[in-house]
Amino acid sequence: MTRDPLLLAWAGLVTLSLAGAGLSLVPAGPVLSLMALSLALLKGRIILHRYLGLANAPRWRRGFDMVLAGFCAGLAGLALLLGTGI
Amino acid sequence: MTDLLDELPGEPMMWVLIVSELLVFGAGLAALSAMRLTDPAGFAEAQAHLNRAGAALNTVVLVTSGCLAALAVRAAQSGREGRKRALLAGAMVLGVVFLVIKGQEYAAKAAEGITWETHPFFTFYYLLTGFHAAHVVAGIVLLGLVAVLRDPRATETGAAFWHMVDLVWVLLFPVVYLIR
Repeated sequence: MTRDPLLLAWAGLVTLSLAGAGLSLVPAGPVLSLMALSLALLKGRIILHRYLGLANAPRWRRGFDMVLAGFCAGLAGLALLLGTGI
Repeated sequence: MTDLLDELPGEPMMWVLIVSELLVFGAGLAALSAMRLTDPAGFAEAQAHLNRAGAALNTVVLVTSGCLAALAVRAAQSGREGRKRALLAGAMVLGVVFLVIKGQEYAAKAAEGITWETHPFFTFYYLLTGFHAAHVVAGIVLLGLVAVLRDPRATETGAAFWHMVDLVWVLLFPVVYLIR
């Protein structure tokens, strides 16, 4: 069992990507949208922290995490409006 | 302030580019999401023509390529030039695989007579995925350049660009291919 953070990050990303592929079987609607965006947020954080090295830059990591979460929340808000037919 | 910049891994100018690119793609994805509200049924019907399995496979291809690029940075920092080049070559090959899968998707759309004018969804689809594919091409060239340079800092900069391409795709995938 590897403890290499990069390989663990890759394994996490592949797992989340496969979970994302499985979402094509979920019926259209807010649940699908929220799950898809949550997976994207998790994958984005792994790429920022491990691949781009922000795990070792806590202040930058916090900033990027906040902006990424805010962006995904905005997209989720629009997707929820889609579900309500507004 | 210098303290804060020192904390940032890699070349600061590459981070400026990364943030700029994320803003551009972010605006495009937000615009697509907002436009979808004007015609949810039409957007869903248009989106049904996309190959979700191919796009999901491409996500696995890109994140694996990103891992190879990150491992190449580590190899460069420890002076293992041969290993660095092999890992970057692997990352570039996977970049080409991504483009081949994407090309097949475009060819399938063309065979169906779908163009960027067919529906506003396809205008966004071609703009966003086409612009992203152009970045994949640029990233492959950049990885090729840093592979021949004996400079760990250059490898880190090239890999950072590649990770940005990766990050954009994981945000683009749900908005373009899944949400309906």
